[in-house]
Amino acid sequence: MKSMNETVVRAAGLGIAIVYAALIAWLFVRQPATFAEVTGGLSSAVGAYRIDQQAFEDGRQYFRNDQFAEARAAFDRADPARRDALTQFYIAYAFYREGWGRFYSDDELFRAGLEAVNRAIALAPNGRLVVEEPGQEIRTADELKAELERGLKVEASDLDPMRVFRPRK
Amino acid sequence: MTAAREAIHLPVLFLTVTLLGGLRPGSAVALAPPSLFALILAVLLAGVLVQSGAFAPLRVMTASRPALANLNGGVLVAALLVASAQMFSLLTPDAGLPRVLFSVYFLVLLINTMAASPDRVRVLRSLAVTFGAAFVLKFIVLDALSDPAGGRLARLLQVLFEGVTLGALTQDAQHPAAGYVAFAAVVMFLAALSLLPSAARDTRRPEGLRLPGRSLPEA
Repeated sequence: MKSMNETVVRAAGLGIAIVYAALIAWLFVRQPATFAEVTGGLSSAVGAYRIDQQAFEDGRQYFRNDQFAEARAAFDRADPARRDALTQFYIAYAFYREGWGRFYSDDELFRAGLEAVNRAIALAPNGRLVVEEPGQEIRTADELKAELERGLKVEASDLDPMRVFRPRK
Repeated sequence: MTAAREAIHLPVLFLTVTLLGGLRPGSAVALAPPSLFALILAVLLAGVLVQSGAFAPLRVMTASRPALANLNGGVLVAALLVASAQMFSLLTPDAGLPRVLFSVYFLVLLINTMAASPDRVRVLRSLAVTFGAAFVLKFIVLDALSDPAGGRLARLLQVLFEGVTLGALTQDAQHPAAGYVAFAAVVMFLAALSLLPSAARDTRRPEGLRLPGRSLPEA
């Protein structure tokens, strides 16, 4: 009986230690910055993560009205764990549109946008994210990433005076 | 040592130390893995613990034990190594001259302890003093010298030290919670070390064993 109890304790201990070690390794790899990211990451690992749909729709409405800071706040509320590819795409898009300028782009906003679109690509199945939305010129995460990277590069074409006539996507 | 201590308590304690030791509180919480040098120091520390008898690996992993018990022992050894590495990483300043000095201090101290080959109690005492001193230096002295919001005297000392050391001494200001988290990690680590199965003979008499002529009279 004593031996049986000891075996149970040892097996339970092994299980606890492995699960705890896996959790710690996951935390070190994923580097969640907030408690919401921890819980969101864990719930998405078991397929139970859902975004706040109302906040997401609010964000899209702000985005269409060119209220980008408000849109990002709503998107952050919708996806506090940063685990939803579509929401991260829209956050990146909001950074792009706010940072876009006829003469120059805001590098800080573009860099934040690039981080968000990279998150979106990492979260999308096979890294492919297509967003069909009427009136929206950029429809894939790859296009958005290319636009953001182009905006961050310093090229000879930046000096082209015709550049001021290019449209914002 | 009981099975619960070997299989549950000690691994959980060491893993918690690993987690707390990597925690860097701030506006965005970060988790820092141990540096490569800290891993080397951890191996040296394990050597010191084994040499002094503070940890007897043969009591947790040996051919005569069942496979499950050996697995528990393996987990314990791995957790001890990772926690030790994390502890050195935690107590070493993040940059500059203090980082180099602390690294050399830990290395020399461990080699010196190995050469002196003290017993279990002395090693545990020595580790408590070493980690305690490193904690005070990093989280109290260096933090006070690097605090941009410190008082007039602190700023004066800061300027003096920066002048003398060409700015190599000051560190990035730490979050107020960092010291408390580190203190908890150090205390837990030292407690876990003292609970490790040691090479000292187990002098407890097995339950039910009575020496002839010395048994207590029945009530």
